[in-house]
Amino acid sequence: MDRLAVMTPMARPSTVRAVQYTPEELARYELIVQRYARHVYNIAYRLVGNASDARDLSQEAFLRVYRALRRVQPDAPLESWLYRIVNNLYIDLLRKRPKVRIESLDAPVETARGELPREFPDIDSSPEAMLEREQLDAAIQRALGTLSAELRLVVILSDIEGFSYEEIASILRVPLGTVKSRLHRARQILQQRLRPYVDARRQGWDE
Amino acid sequence: MRINHHRSSQLLSAYLDGELLPAEAAAVQDHLLECAPCRAAYEGLRITKGLLGELPVAEPPAEFWEAVRRPPPTRAVARISWWTPALQRGVLGGLAAALIVLALALVPMIKGTVDRLHAAEIGVDLYVREHALQMSTEPLADRAYLGVITGDSDLVLAGESAHRQAGGR
Repeated sequence: MDRLAVMTPMARPSTVRAVQYTPEELARYELIVQRYARHVYNIAYRLVGNASDARDLSQEAFLRVYRALRRVQPDAPLESWLYRIVNNLYIDLLRKRPKVRIESLDAPVETARGELPREFPDIDSSPEAMLEREQLDAAIQRALGTLSAELRLVVILSDIEGFSYEEIASILRVPLGTVKSRLHRARQILQQRLRPYVDARRQGWDE
Repeated sequence: MRINHHRSSQLLSAYLDGELLPAEAAAVQDHLLECAPCRAAYEGLRITKGLLGELPVAEPPAEFWEAVRRPPPTRAVARISWWTPALQRGVLGGLAAALIVLALALVPMIKGTVDRLHAAEIGVDLYVREHALQMSTEPLADRAYLGVITGDSDLVLAGESAHRQAGGR
């Protein structure tokens, strides 16, 4: 039910007609899939933090692309549009399911624990165990989950996907200064959440 | 260009990303040389950024590729497009309203017929008396059917007709 809910709000009557695409158009779609599918999925995964929602979200994004294929100019910059779709779908998902939101930026990590999937390890594990890659990834994902939606997307686009401030500003349609301040704020919060890991790496640097 | 500690700490992320103007970047660099807290903050941000950058790329499952490559089925698209929850609610609401209207029309019709038959059997006068008696004992539960009394032109209210007849005589 929830999964369908992600898809329905954007459905428009204009998309009812079944479109017959030419082989050239289908090839163009395939090219878009090849080029962006992994990125879209990865961004979706880092946004929602679980494979099933990530799949629904990114599939829905490509469904939109497929439907709009004829309206998209062959040489138009697809990237911003595509990631904006992902962002909008994600915000829709949050609206539909407020439970997904773990927004309180200043609340201690412990309060979020109840809502997190079971496979995540405890953040208070021994330092040896903490250094294990898998646990680190889970801790980072969990820290990302404590960011508000707008901070989360900016930091994912910048630090995970490697976009420049200007590109992020164009994807999110916000001023450059907003990107700058959101990213700074997001990193500060993440640094605080990931303190044990950050401090472990700091050693030997700031003596 | 010189900047203070507060301004510098605000610019550290952008400095880290190489997103400052050359003059700003130089000023932040100068400040970092003389400010240990800013150096520590910068280091923390740099490590945090590094941690995020090291995250493995989430690999889409096979079902994702299948779904994305296979053009969406027309049926599913059409179903999602027009059979929306709003429309479902509308149709269900309409049906419920129709049922209520039907019940409101049927109940008096059936009860009216039954009462009519009963009144025809015992006579309207007796029927009205019966219900007048019932109404006096249980005013809220009287079951007289007004249609029987007023529906037929020659079946006027028994009490009224009695008065009228008495008066006429």
